[in-house]
Amino acid sequence: MNIEKKRKIESFIALTLSGLAAATGLFWLLYILSDVIIHGLGALHISLFFNDPAPAGEEGGGLRNAFVGQLMITVAATLIGVPVGILGGTFLAEYARGKKFARIISIISDIMVSVPSIVVGAFIYAILVRPLHHFSGWAGAFALSIIMIPVVLRTTEDMLSLVPWTLREAAFALGAPYYKVIIQVVYRGAATGILTGVLLSIARVAGETAPLLFTSFNNNFFSTDMNRPIASLTVSIFQYAMGPYGSWHTQAWGAALVVTLFILILTIAGRLVLKWRYKQ
Amino acid sequence: MTATTEIEVKSLDFYYNGDARALQNISLPVYKNMVTALIGPSGCGKTTLLRCFNRMHDLYPKHRYEGEIHFQEKNILANGVDLIDLRSRIGMVFQKPTPFPMSVAENIAYGLRLKGITNKSELIGRIEEALKHAALWTEVRDKMNESAYELSGGQQQRLVIARALAVEPEVLLFDEPTSALDPISTAKIEELVVSLKKDVTIIIVTHNMQQAARVSDMTGFLYMGELIEYGTTEKIFTNPDNKQTDDYITGRFG
Amino acid sequence: MATSPQKNFSELIFLSLTAVASFTVIFFIIGIIIVLLNESSLAIGKFGLMDFLTSTAWNPVTGVFGAATTIYGTLVTTALALLFAMPTAIGIAIFVTEIAPNFLKGPIGIAIELLAAIPSIIYGMWGLFTLAPIMAKYIEPALQNTLGKIPALGFLFRGTPMGIDLLTASVILAIMIIPFTASISRDSFNLTPAVVKESAYAIGATKWEVVKNVVLPYSKLGVFGGAALSLGRALGETMAVAFVLGNNHKIATSLLDAASTITVSLANEFTEADSALYLSSLYYLALVLFIMSFIILAISKFFLLKAERKYSR
Repeated sequence: MNIEKKRKIESFIALTLSGLAAATGLFWLLYILSDVIIHGLGALHISLFFNDPAPAGEEGGGLRNAFVGQLMITVAATLIGVPVGILGGTFLAEYARGKKFARIISIISDIMVSVPSIVVGAFIYAILVRPLHHFSGWAGAFALSIIMIPVVLRTTEDMLSLVPWTLREAAFALGAPYYKVIIQVVYRGAATGILTGVLLSIARVAGETAPLLFTSFNNNFFSTDMNRPIASLTVSIFQYAMGPYGSWHTQAWGAALVVTLFILILTIAGRLVLKWRYKQ
Repeated sequence: MTATTEIEVKSLDFYYNGDARALQNISLPVYKNMVTALIGPSGCGKTTLLRCFNRMHDLYPKHRYEGEIHFQEKNILANGVDLIDLRSRIGMVFQKPTPFPMSVAENIAYGLRLKGITNKSELIGRIEEALKHAALWTEVRDKMNESAYELSGGQQQRLVIARALAVEPEVLLFDEPTSALDPISTAKIEELVVSLKKDVTIIIVTHNMQQAARVSDMTGFLYMGELIEYGTTEKIFTNPDNKQTDDYITGRFG
Repeated sequence: MATSPQKNFSELIFLSLTAVASFTVIFFIIGIIIVLLNESSLAIGKFGLMDFLTSTAWNPVTGVFGAATTIYGTLVTTALALLFAMPTAIGIAIFVTEIAPNFLKGPIGIAIELLAAIPSIIYGMWGLFTLAPIMAKYIEPALQNTLGKIPALGFLFRGTPMGIDLLTASVILAIMIIPFTASISRDSFNLTPAVVKESAYAIGATKWEVVKNVVLPYSKLGVFGGAALSLGRALGETMAVAFVLGNNHKIATSLLDAASTITVSLANEFTEADSALYLSSLYYLALVLFIMSFIILAISKFFLLKAERKYSR
């Protein structure tokens, strides 16, 4: 066999392998998603949404408290994390543009994005839970916002940097002060990008469990008091899935389906927003 | 018609980054209601000079002005000058059209809102006026609420001019306004520049000599940061005093 | 520069707000380090550094704690996960950038993003209910009967296959980091300028040769950075692993044994810690983990920045 043929065969084999790799990736996605859908659909009773947990071992329990609690914690985290993230990213991209310490903050932010989320939970436990002698929804929200802020900050910084400098100059030339240039012109130019960043950051924290384990903890009863332990879907999934009861497992699948769908919809929405913008 | 001096540049030096000198000992008068063109090869300092008039350089650190620029009896290079006020009286149009990410109407309204005009009917009236002034009204009258990005390049540039005109500046600075446009749009803008001078004093930087010859009344030729010659456009282009000017005009260099 | 005092004031307020917001990131990281150090000071005082890192003890009753078992579990699961994930991820990246017809590139890209968005607890649950039984019933016995028979590898596959072990945990972790690694690798590959690839084709290179000799070397930095980033993320993963690892504080030599990682320990024992020393030791573990991941993430950032600088010439 001449060398040319050999090389062609080698190429064919190598590329087929990478095709297989791609197929593997797709396979896991479909397998996991379909598993979640199949098991989860079976658990989607009205009772899941409208009942609170039943005493251990009894049938008919639901996760209403967890749905509500998850919503409250996520909303609180978003209200804290998004403004801080956007303002922080604005500082780095505008007032501190090009300065060395801005670079450092940017790099540290990037690292914070990937820091173990359970360590964040332990951190908040020490400063917000133990001194107050009880778990609380607020502690959980703060833990989540610590994860959100670097994500939003970095996307905002990147999106603002994409707005061409001449646009700012044109606004200056009309006699606008810098803060108005930023708020009225630059933000508008980067709006869709920032929105995508926000949506993706919400998708990220909506599925977090570890930071909530020792901050908002869990609550078997319905509660809307953020100053006390509050139930969350993710922690409930953990608890129920590891528990011994079949009914708990079913509910865990149902909750898993809802969480997954929510996150996937947010992620797709975020990407769509960006795509729609660039079509124009 | 006697020429009144609107702006007087007196022995202006300009330094980038502390000690990189870009302009050397520039002195010239800019006459009211006339078009003054600044020409010269790339890097000669014409844009640098233009950006001194509305102190655009102040946006960047480590710049230094020496000398004076008098605008209506006051030195605008002095400390304590209100830059925001200055820039609403001396406006600027850039090389690439820079419409804001808003509708056509909101673009024009932007400068007006900055000045505190919020009355809706007044805004609408002045927007229409500005668009007519920029010879754009008939083309965009039914697109007022559409995104400014929907307009063509030439229309966007005229929109930007209308936006600058809306705040009723006394001077309008043009930085190579047609270099990114096609010939037909270029011709429209040149027509506009000539028609505007009766209301606004215009200073235009261009690397296109023929454009300078077509639109301007006075021309200044810069080279390597120095003002080589300054005079009426007719004189500069037909009978310049300086040999360097002559060489540039006839295309021997640049 | 005197502007109207009102405008100057608003400008100052906005500037201060944004500045403070950006500095919160620094506060968090410093705060976390200080708090972790503070909380683990009791354990540090009792066990020291080297002793703690090398001790395999973990006895809440007698109050003797050591990090070796959990560090071992963390490193083994992460290393195995990376081993399984990297080839697959790079294969996917090659497929998407060089082989796939244009109409497929978009959908596969979206599929990768979606996989990356699935929260780790879902992976964990799926691992517990679906993967672990399959591992216990089919895959692990198969491995025992094939690779397990090789004398040098036998110790890796000893024990009863229960599905709750290092191997399953590593597989789940691998599946989790594939999308992320593939995404970064794909972005690095796309940075190879078309002209460079074209000149290779022009000499008559096969597609694979272009990938092997042009694209991969060119994207080396980006791929390393991506690998380090995935490593950093895998180190800190809790929920994906917590369901399928058990929580057994011992140095398991067989992949089919249950074990523990720092994150799993924390998740399971934090709220149960009944003595100050116990909690402090857990914080000590958290501190070790934080430092490990910080270093790895900083290394990854170093590579990624280097790649960026190289390509924006």
